[in-house]
Amino acid sequence: MRTFQRVAVLGFGTMGGGIAQVVAASGRDVVVLETNQERIDRGFATVRGFLDEGVRRGKSTEADRDAVLERISAITDVAGLAGVDLVIEAVTERQDVKVELLARVAEVVGEDTVLTTNTSALSVTDLAAHLPRPGRMAGLHYFNPAPLMELVEVVRALQTDAAVIADLVSFVEDLGKSPVEVKDRPGFLVNRLLMPYLNDVVQEYDNDLATADDVDVAIQLGLGYKLGPLALLDLIGIDVHQHATESAYEATLDPQFAPPPLLSQMVAAGYLGNKSGRGFRVGTTEQGEGR
Amino acid sequence: MTPNKLTVAVLGGGTMGAGIAVTAARGGHRAILRDIDDEAVRRGLDNAESFLRKSASLGKLTAEQADAALADLSGTTDLSDIAAADVVIEAVFEDLELKKQLFAELDDVVSRDALFHTNTSTLSVTSIAAGSRYPERVVGTHYCNPAQLMKLVEVAEGRHTSSEATKRSLEFLESVGKTTVITKDRPGFILNRFLIPWENNCIRALEAGMGTVESIDRAVVGALRHPMGPFQLLDVVGLDVHKAVSTRLYEQLHEPRFAPPPLVDRMIAAGDLGRKAGRGFYTYDSTKSFGA
Repeated sequence: MRTFQRVAVLGFGTMGGGIAQVVAASGRDVVVLETNQERIDRGFATVRGFLDEGVRRGKSTEADRDAVLERISAITDVAGLAGVDLVIEAVTERQDVKVELLARVAEVVGEDTVLTTNTSALSVTDLAAHLPRPGRMAGLHYFNPAPLMELVEVVRALQTDAAVIADLVSFVEDLGKSPVEVKDRPGFLVNRLLMPYLNDVVQEYDNDLATADDVDVAIQLGLGYKLGPLALLDLIGIDVHQHATESAYEATLDPQFAPPPLLSQMVAAGYLGNKSGRGFRVGTTEQGEGR
Repeated sequence: MTPNKLTVAVLGGGTMGAGIAVTAARGGHRAILRDIDDEAVRRGLDNAESFLRKSASLGKLTAEQADAALADLSGTTDLSDIAAADVVIEAVFEDLELKKQLFAELDDVVSRDALFHTNTSTLSVTSIAAGSRYPERVVGTHYCNPAQLMKLVEVAEGRHTSSEATKRSLEFLESVGKTTVITKDRPGFILNRFLIPWENNCIRALEAGMGTVESIDRAVVGALRHPMGPFQLLDVVGLDVHKAVSTRLYEQLHEPRFAPPPLVDRMIAAGDLGRKAGRGFYTYDSTKSFGA
């Protein structure tokens, strides 16, 4: 059984950085591939900021933080990935970009190196079909923020070898996370359940069932969820959800995945949620309105 | 205690009715619990009393507060005993004709100014209000179970509800410590409107082999940080209750996602109703409900 002691993470964005941190915290060496030094600096700053927050809250020590950071290195030349046992791809959610990058990585790493993608919206089977030895390809879907969220979906493409899945499940457990093995279906398991619910909320909100605040307050107080659905959409990014549910709709033609028109309108208007300062809850005058 | 001590009549001595009566009495009002037979009234009052005593023993209320609430709590089977009610809250069985008829009878018992609250979860406030000759006083106030612990109340106006009635209702709910949200009078309001298709979708995912009971619950809790997974929640709610709520929403909305999936019927047929039966999606050592 492979324990994946040297791990490559492709992309140092929010997800890539979070995944690199989680893997490094398990005592493994991580090498992150990015396109330029500026993005590398930003990635390190984000990871450091996250770890500093943990120290400030007393969840970890400065020594732990430094040890995690020391185990992460970053490069811009794909040749530096030679010798890794596991690749976790976490670049932008575009099939052409992922295929081109994974093909270049596959040329550098060993034939047995396991290739994984953190995609949430694309078919792992389809990505694997573009790569040599597709049996070593699988999905490893983390949730944002990766250092905090327990679940990791281990996605079995049609081509994935059973041994690869077994090794990845052990790997995720060794990271201190909770693995769940899923088939390569649109949305896998969690987003398959989450997207229709979020779409339903968006449509009913657009239909004036209640204010955005009241929808979220009802769900939070009534069901004990940490976040209401509209605050969750602001956090996920309205463009990200729109893209994911549109992809699922195209793949299934199942109306529950069809993006409600309001989503596209908000994306067109630049209302993307927390990251743009305006969304369903964030940056609206409705917030704080007293009754 | 409160600037304006109201007389609150609660119709129906079941779990919800007793919980609402506790909420009203604890909030400084006079609460009268009414059911059709002495046994039901006694059971409701016993539940209310044991809850208030337990609250005092846990330090949630002082002994004096618990005693004051108990002193303000009474029961009756006679509708004429609630003639002085300022607020009537019906929490009877979820049956439209029953609720309409109750409000029609009450028109001749209580004052014209009394508010009528319906605790329906799935029926139309407008339809229930049609039972009263004065539908402008009827407001939907949907409490969550257990009503004495859950802060949320969904407030819905019927077509003819007056804004004055809504305003007074919100003041009353605030006086008993509730957080209110305003929703349109549509099937399921906010909570059940979104919860029921979510639960049904999880059941269908299980039927489709997308995961096991355990893995789907673990995935939802681990990725979305819900306090419990969908199947743990269904076991708490009860499969029979889930089916009834689902079916009533489906009958009004005619959208397949509200229809209970076949597994629900099979589980009910097998007697696997959830926690209260000792077995549902999971098996339980004890059938005692918690939180009470």
